[in-house]
Amino acid sequence: MNKEQVYLDACKTTRLDPKVLEEMKPYFLEKYWFPGNFTDIGNEIADEISESQKKIAKTINAEPGEIIFTSGGTDGNNIALKGIMAANREKGKHFITSKVSHPSVLTVFKALEDEGYEGTYISADEEGYLDLEELRSSIRKDTTLVALTHINHTLGTVQKIDAISEILQNANHKINFFLDSCEAYTKIPIDVKKQKIDAISISGHKFNGPKGTGFLFVKDGTKVKKTQNGIARLHPLKPGVVNVPGIVGITKAADLIFEDFEGHVERLANLQKKLYDGIKQRIDDIRLNGPALGERSPAHLNISFMAVEGEAIMMMLNFDDIHIETGSACSAKELKADYIMMNTGRTFEESHGSVRFTLDKFVTEEQIDKTIDSLEKTIKELRRRSPLGKKKTN
Amino acid sequence: MAIKYSEKVIEHFKNPHNIGELEQPSGAATEGSPACGDQLSIYLDIEEGTNVIKDIKFQSYGCASNIATASIITDMAKGKTIDQAKEISWKQAAEELGGLPPVKMHCSVLAVDALRSAIKDYEKKHLGKEFDESMSKENVKKELQKIIYGKVGVDILTLKLVKYIGIDNDNNIIIDLEMDKGDKFLPDIKEEIEEHLSKFDRANEIKINVV
Repeated sequence: MNKEQVYLDACKTTRLDPKVLEEMKPYFLEKYWFPGNFTDIGNEIADEISESQKKIAKTINAEPGEIIFTSGGTDGNNIALKGIMAANREKGKHFITSKVSHPSVLTVFKALEDEGYEGTYISADEEGYLDLEELRSSIRKDTTLVALTHINHTLGTVQKIDAISEILQNANHKINFFLDSCEAYTKIPIDVKKQKIDAISISGHKFNGPKGTGFLFVKDGTKVKKTQNGIARLHPLKPGVVNVPGIVGITKAADLIFEDFEGHVERLANLQKKLYDGIKQRIDDIRLNGPALGERSPAHLNISFMAVEGEAIMMMLNFDDIHIETGSACSAKELKADYIMMNTGRTFEESHGSVRFTLDKFVTEEQIDKTIDSLEKTIKELRRRSPLGKKKTN
Repeated sequence: MAIKYSEKVIEHFKNPHNIGELEQPSGAATEGSPACGDQLSIYLDIEEGTNVIKDIKFQSYGCASNIATASIITDMAKGKTIDQAKEISWKQAAEELGGLPPVKMHCSVLAVDALRSAIKDYEKKHLGKEFDESMSKENVKKELQKIIYGKVGVDILTLKLVKYIGIDNDNNIIIDLEMDKGDKFLPDIKEEIEEHLSKFDRANEIKINVV
């Protein structure tokens, strides 16, 4: 892999920022202790972790003690969802999520249903926004948790958190509000106090931090039952090894973005617009999936190219060292069409020819230009080959 | 394990042979559907008398393996008599490509199906042949033979996953499948069965039971 790779799949994972790696190195090679008391290096590391908690907490307006370091989004989702349901079991066993939640939320709930919990899965409209009336009417006396995906990973839809919070605040009893914000963190502002969120799960590798890192915000006073056992070196909810280099790494990655958050978001939005405008100008018969630019995640674009198939597009772009994701059933291991596309009223053809472009801070304008060139060539060639493409190439 | 294509598949996908349409084909057919995710059209130019395939073209709305299998099968059929071309099996086409991942084997079946249907079209129009295309148990069986269990890349009849085929008095087709209800390929197989059996106009409802 010597040639420069154009990586537009940041929603899946991202490249580690070399500055983050530099920051982590001493904690692998020299300061490889766990945090401890009374000894110099142990103390230094404990201080470093406290500092990390403070810095991370500030990015979402939380308190340092409300930050628990995890091994990633899935880890955080498991700890929070299972823990909150178990801790509130006496009050009720009903949860609410949505049909367009991320699999790392849906799979946890599937496991909880197998244990006797009950769930309601609310619908989304064509742009991926949740039906808030349905949310309101789904609340039962025994509902203890509403857990949603903050930004939809397929469509880039930013859920209306303030409106959702208001519904939950107006319920007759306390309902815990959890968000899987892996796609949202570093893309849109999050304020857990103002937005009245009880728990949030974040993953480090989605914003140029190290893989295997993450954090969970749990609002002080929220009841979460322990679901993992071991020596609790930092927090009872996450016992076992303390990933000190990882904690230092995810904090540095967040630091690098939040030192100029507005600038970072603006840069992403400009790249997104450049990509969308370029595609629109040079390729006809396309559909934008998800909300309009300006309303969606700044790092996210999803487009259906009619009359062609997504896996073929993905491979053609790959020949030009460009990497994207597709909703095509052909590229799925079990040949199933993307469930998000199917649950937001898309046709098979739209799902089949859909391409997701997701951006991070390393994407350049030149790379966007290269992508538009390659796409134009690819779609033209695949439509020439397609029996559905005739009317599209005339 | 990663799903990978052979070098030959990649080569045929990059530079497919026989792409396009024939203006006045002596036989043509389209198989698959956009809903199913792949569609293939094959056009034939056949010399009357000798029944040799002089020219053959295809168009594909599908993934890389769909395009590659169509490319190879049109190469294989070119110059052959229709009787020889009809004998080309999906296993041969896949072998000729240096193998296909099991989950992609259905592309090879589609390619063979489209070729055979195009030949049938020629035989009907130019040789006056008639075919029994009624909704008989035998013809239902033939359709089911084209459905691949993506986990292993073999058709569901050979794998003996079909336990019962029946047609009742209301023209409902009843299929009993012996599969684990949680099998991840079950939704795909059900969709394929419905897609394939919906070509029988007389069919009322297609009832699939998992036993």
